Amino acid sequence: MSTTRRGFLTTTGLVSAGLLLPATRTSALPSIVRQPAPTSAPSSASGSGAISFSPLPGKAALAFAAIERARKGGATHAEARLVALTRERVQIRDRRIEDLSASEQIGLSVRVLVDGAWGFAATPDLTDKAVAIATDRALAGAKANVALRKRIGAPPVELARCVAASGAWVSPHEIDLFSISAADKAALLLAATERALAEKGVAHAEAGVTSVREDKLLVTTDGTRVHQIHFRVAPEFTVTAIDRRRGRFASRDHEAAPMSAGWEYVRDLDLPGAARGLARDVRQKLYAPAIEPGNMHVILAPSNLYLTIHESIGHPTELDRAMGLEANFAGTSFLALTDRGKLQFASDAVTVLADRTQPGGLATTGWDDEGVASGRWPIVEAGTFVGWQTTREQAAWIGEDQSRGCSYGYGYVGLPFQRMPNVSLQPGKDDLSTEDLINATERGVYITGRGSWSIDQQRRNFQFGGQMFWKIERGRLTGPLRDVAYQANTLEFWRSCDMLGGPGTYRLGGSFGDGKGEPQQMNAVSHGCVPARFRANVLRTGGAT
Amino acid sequence: MTASAAKALCKRVLAEASFGDVRVHVRAASRGDLRFGATRPTTGGDVDTLEITVTASKDGRHATVTGNAAGAAELAALVQRAEALAAIAPVDPGSVGPLGKVTPARVLARDPKVAAMGPADRAALVGEALDTAIAKGVELSGHLQHGLVVDAFADRAGLLVAHEATDLVMTCTARTSDGTGSSKVGVRSHGRASLAPKALVERAAEVAIGSRAPRAIEPGNYTVVLLPDAVAELLDFLVGAMGARAASEGRSFFSAPDGATKLGTKVFDERVRLWSDPADRQNPASPLGDDGRPQAKVTWVEGGVVKALHTSRGFAAERGVPPIPEPTSLHMAGGDKDVDGLIAGVSRGILVTRLWYNRMLEPRQIVATGLTRDGTFFIEGGKVSHSIKNLRYNDGPVTMLTKLLALGRAERSGLFAGRVTVVPPLVVEGFRFDSVADSV
Repeated sequence: MSTTRRGFLTTTGLVSAGLLLPATRTSALPSIVRQPAPTSAPSSASGSGAISFSPLPGKAALAFAAIERARKGGATHAEARLVALTRERVQIRDRRIEDLSASEQIGLSVRVLVDGAWGFAATPDLTDKAVAIATDRALAGAKANVALRKRIGAPPVELARCVAASGAWVSPHEIDLFSISAADKAALLLAATERALAEKGVAHAEAGVTSVREDKLLVTTDGTRVHQIHFRVAPEFTVTAIDRRRGRFASRDHEAAPMSAGWEYVRDLDLPGAARGLARDVRQKLYAPAIEPGNMHVILAPSNLYLTIHESIGHPTELDRAMGLEANFAGTSFLALTDRGKLQFASDAVTVLADRTQPGGLATTGWDDEGVASGRWPIVEAGTFVGWQTTREQAAWIGEDQSRGCSYGYGYVGLPFQRMPNVSLQPGKDDLSTEDLINATERGVYITGRGSWSIDQQRRNFQFGGQMFWKIERGRLTGPLRDVAYQANTLEFWRSCDMLGGPGTYRLGGSFGDGKGEPQQMNAVSHGCVPARFRANVLRTGGAT
Repeated sequence: MTASAAKALCKRVLAEASFGDVRVHVRAASRGDLRFGATRPTTGGDVDTLEITVTASKDGRHATVTGNAAGAAELAALVQRAEALAAIAPVDPGSVGPLGKVTPARVLARDPKVAAMGPADRAALVGEALDTAIAKGVELSGHLQHGLVVDAFADRAGLLVAHEATDLVMTCTARTSDGTGSSKVGVRSHGRASLAPKALVERAAEVAIGSRAPRAIEPGNYTVVLLPDAVAELLDFLVGAMGARAASEGRSFFSAPDGATKLGTKVFDERVRLWSDPADRQNPASPLGDDGRPQAKVTWVEGGVVKALHTSRGFAAERGVPPIPEPTSLHMAGGDKDVDGLIAGVSRGILVTRLWYNRMLEPRQIVATGLTRDGTFFIEGGKVSHSIKNLRYNDGPVTMLTKLLALGRAERSGLFAGRVTVVPPLVVEGFRFDSVADSV
């Protein structure tokens, strides 16, 4: 498919036309290099090959031995996870290979519940003896924690009921990421940087692709046995222009999102074909004027808004944060348990769903790491905060009898705990385009792509940058800007949302790097959204130049 | 795993090599931890990890493969995969040869008491912290982690080095029951002797209680007293920016016109002296860079003048500059005043205990953004007058090291989780804050 290429060509058309945007709806927006999510539903059909080549079923006896040993050793509940995490990274800088590497980490972890206290251990040594030792360490840890729990007077951990699950699930894909050789990947990326370096004003170009296969087999004393394989891919392409005389430089990142997908996603992006547009953008960015700061409208493209959703809606609706359990690192939440069903989080136009079933989502899965089937539920409904993210331990804390299925542990070393599902802003009722939002705006900035981002520990005060910034005057984009950030407070920001794009503008953004917990673990998560209009304090961030 | 076992594993890998240039890095770690939140123990465990990273190189083609299985067949397969991947890699015009024999400083950083810790020790230490929090009436969250980590590097040109270290970290966040006060304290060391949970939590409780009922102040430029945990966060941006390549390419604060760098140029207050030293007795750090290069004692800034930039081996060879690795430690010279002594010299300003969610905004001037967190206080007439709401800054280490008013006594940052960082509290003029956060 060449949707990206078409979008890209119309973009360059816009730029060369001097940014005089017609008042009528066109596709001529600087909305380059985004890709709609794959549309096939999660199913095991496309992945039977992947399952049959997995090394894990052959080791399942180790996992069953671990939970049986744990049960005999006093555990009221036990889980064992066999995980093989494969990563490959190909990174080009200018005309040379910067990184061509592959890693595989395989191991087993066991989590036990003894008298209402958790124990956990993990080993890379997949032998009967090592797994027995790891199980005993998990039991010893749990027993030490039981004694402390009782002395402190803390309540026991209790798990919500869970239907025993059995089956296999593979994230939908056409072409296995690992069936394309690293040499072929490098050749594509070298072609992209070569094309970029041939463009006027481009001093440096970097291109890379990270491919991940997460293969996981979970068995529990509930009778669950599920085997899942996730394929995730993150393409990157950045061009840099330098003005040595003025001591200034600018970089422009491709806005392609990491995706749960196969190689077809990267192929269809046509990275070499994007070089010219990125080069044109970076030249504009280098010489763009700084912004006049002030409170104004911001129109955020999905390639920017996804991260704002992640930080200001995704994180504060994690129940462990609201309960104070993440206070020492990630932080707590401005939301209280009593806010559910009452607090006006956003304007009436805003509905946000948690969704572990949406196609292409990095956190889309068949079952979570406790064997809970994945689902979809509202977080914000017509502006009201209505839903939390939970695990089996947490469901009862908010009076629910089942987990929402948000448990995840990274690799075999990761203790599963509450992690973010895909959290996605639903399209507006009117079928508006990005142009409609711009045309309706007297003064503001249109922002695309991901820049710097920072938010406080209870998720109120945030400040976000972007990749490209366009001045809006009297309903038109009148020119690029540089060194822009928007700052706002979460509730004021979401309550100010007064225009949303329609279904045709919905896109997925995402990240491999959602960090939480101690020791810190990574989570891969996507956020679907449409372009939307808000009010914010717009800052000039460039310092003295 | 011991250092000698890791070296032996390296040799077993090299014995499988068919390429003339094969390099190996073994990292083996055993870690135990216990978290606590809402004044109760929550989760934790014991985790062993092993990473065997093999880089194969031939005729300018190279590739790296990492695995974690140490059986004979798996090691052979790992080396074969690295060589097979290298064989199909594009030729890299900037590839460099093997490191060969080196003699890093001998650094003693293994405390047997930490290496021997287990679940009962963790429960006892966390129990002491929780008891103290209950006695002080604060809600406590935190993390205790102990580990033993071994790194070994080898190649077929004579490199064979290893370093073994223990680490012990305890961090505690105390929050007051009214939800308006918070503080965070931490200790990190290779040794067991540094950790005293009761004293740690008492300090956290005192600051948390003192930080209750913060008042908002107008954002703007203020004189700040930055405690070592805040200084460490800002200096991390500076160390990251001290790369020779970005400086030569005109995309760094350390760039000078026409591809030159600011090496030899005075850019900071003349009292600024920064160095790294893995063999520091009190605060040892790894004597090995991430490619096995030895970490020497390096002076980075002296008298405010830039004395060194770090670089990859490839870029050093290309430009004929010294191949200094990014440091594993950072020390900054201080003065002899304690924090109260620094505050006494400030007529109107802000005391910042720590900074959070720090992100780069503008690399040419190293301007970052982030927020104060866990205790921010107003200073009037040389004394802390009251707690204030958290503020978002848009500023950075360059302001900190140029508009420097006073330096206090250096100490190890207990909260900074990166390289070993031993820095003084600093008084800085005109630090920029742009907005207020209601969050505690």
